[in-house]
Amino acid sequence: MDNYIEKISICIQRGKVNFDSPYPPDMKGLPGADELTGEALQNGIKANEILTGAMIPAMGIVGEQFKDKKLFVPQVLMSAKAMNSALKHLKPYFSSGEIQRRGTFIIGTVAGDLHDIGKNLVSMMIEGSGWDVIDLGVDVKSEQFLEAVGSNPNAVLGMSALLTTTMESMEKSVRQIRESYPDLKILVGGAPLNSEFAKRIGANLYAPNPQVAVEYLNS
Amino acid sequence: MTTMTSRERVQHAMSLRKPDRVPLMCQFSIGAMMNLLRPSPAEFWYDGRLFSIGLVELCERFSFDGILVSLHGHSPDWREKIISFKQMSEGKQELTFEDRVEIHSWDDLPLVKYNNKIQRPSIDTIDVDKDVPDNIEYIPVSQDLYFIIDKEHPFDIFDYIKELTGDKYSIHGEITSPFDYLLDVLGYEEALMSLIMNPDKCKEILAKFAKGVGDLAEKMCDYDIDAIKISSPFAGMGFISPEHYSEFVLPYESEIISRIRAKGKHSYIHTCGHIDDRLELMRDSGTSGLECLDPEPVGNVDLGNAFGRVGDQLFIKGNIDSVNSLLYADDSKAENDILKIIETGKEGKGFILSTACSIAPKVTAERLHMLYNLVKEHGKY
Repeated sequence: MDNYIEKISICIQRGKVNFDSPYPPDMKGLPGADELTGEALQNGIKANEILTGAMIPAMGIVGEQFKDKKLFVPQVLMSAKAMNSALKHLKPYFSSGEIQRRGTFIIGTVAGDLHDIGKNLVSMMIEGSGWDVIDLGVDVKSEQFLEAVGSNPNAVLGMSALLTTTMESMEKSVRQIRESYPDLKILVGGAPLNSEFAKRIGANLYAPNPQVAVEYLNS
Repeated sequence: MTTMTSRERVQHAMSLRKPDRVPLMCQFSIGAMMNLLRPSPAEFWYDGRLFSIGLVELCERFSFDGILVSLHGHSPDWREKIISFKQMSEGKQELTFEDRVEIHSWDDLPLVKYNNKIQRPSIDTIDVDKDVPDNIEYIPVSQDLYFIIDKEHPFDIFDYIKELTGDKYSIHGEITSPFDYLLDVLGYEEALMSLIMNPDKCKEILAKFAKGVGDLAEKMCDYDIDAIKISSPFAGMGFISPEHYSEFVLPYESEIISRIRAKGKHSYIHTCGHIDDRLELMRDSGTSGLECLDPEPVGNVDLGNAFGRVGDQLFIKGNIDSVNSLLYADDSKAENDILKIIETGKEGKGFILSTACSIAPKVTAERLHMLYNLVKEHGKY
């Protein structure tokens, strides 16, 4: 059993998606996270063991290494792709309730802002840490955030802004949402932001990188 | 030392010679220009004459020594493809085209919504001959925002500015790194994964873009400009490793830089965010200078350290934090931050006082006047 868990974990850490993937070169011709997860389930390994023993810790390592600039965006994207290829095998177990997510995370880039790469990276890392992610996309108005929060009680909300001008949209959205949901946990991120700004607008956390958001959610 | 003209001041700094005082030259974001000038936003974006008048007016208003021409290739026929032009409110206009709707406002860059999502090829399906243009006909300004370069009028704006300013200011053009074009043509995520999934094809694409951008830069050099800025915002630590920088950015930017140099003009690279680990690699491109060098927290460059490492060979244009020192700081912090940069910069061989990234929208006119007042008083050599 440990062998499968370890192999799946390595595939995710190194971004080995499936047998056909040429990356990483030294794993060419070997099965990837996709095949190994399928095989592990067929061999009786519990879905929860794969999720908590392989996938979540592997993405945690990837997140740490990204934070420490030992990995960069291309490698993280490959790891996320490998994680998704494993995750698709677990979908039926989520649906049946055999395994459960840690919670629901709603994320979007604020109104007037069309940038999505930072948001997408955060989504991938949070999903990889065991959360269900609802991605509202870009240019998300306050009303859309409010609707998503209303439909998902106990969710945590994340907002992204890459422009100084759209930081104003973020502030407006946070204040509007706070009026209806004063206890909602709200995380914010984006290049021009900082902790002081997050505090001033009433967000709970400024996440300078995805791993900080993951650590906060899982604390 | 006799007082120099603004142009001489910048030229001296770019040639690693000490001018009479530290030159001042920041680049304006479109939002900052809109805020300060309050023009008709769509006309300002599309009309080359209006844009050049705005650039000159801001340069003069804030006593800058140079003008960065961030957009070129304005079409005199820009209104022809507009289906409707609606004034939504003061400073906000909606332009409808066949394939898209554009919202132009005093806030920032135009916001574009396409009728159909832009379909991008994957690294496996892209046909380099067909899908990568031989000639550069657009500027990828921001995500899904393009400025089309009019083939008949690619550089008219430099003539307009020259008409308005003569030899007074140092005029700089701007081109975009082939790496940016790669990210745009494939989409950011697909392109970044392709660097490791199909590096050879990425290099084919980059080589073709480098040829096109180099051609564009060479022709730009025929105008009376002093330098060309190479905008390369995605080449920092926030995106790619130094190894990938060496493999996918450096050779292609170097090729363009050598062509600019051969035409007798300066070049400088602008890469945002964390770049401390690749300053020497950037130097190895053969560039005359570096711009940006974002300090903490936006980036991780210490100006004094950067001068110590690459300042013997390169001029540095930077590195005021436009957000934390100009937009949000109180007067005392803003003044201290700017003074520290002036003092550090003066120790270097070639230094131009500038914001690291462009002046953020909503930075006040008072803050911008502060830059000149401080450099005038404390920037003398």
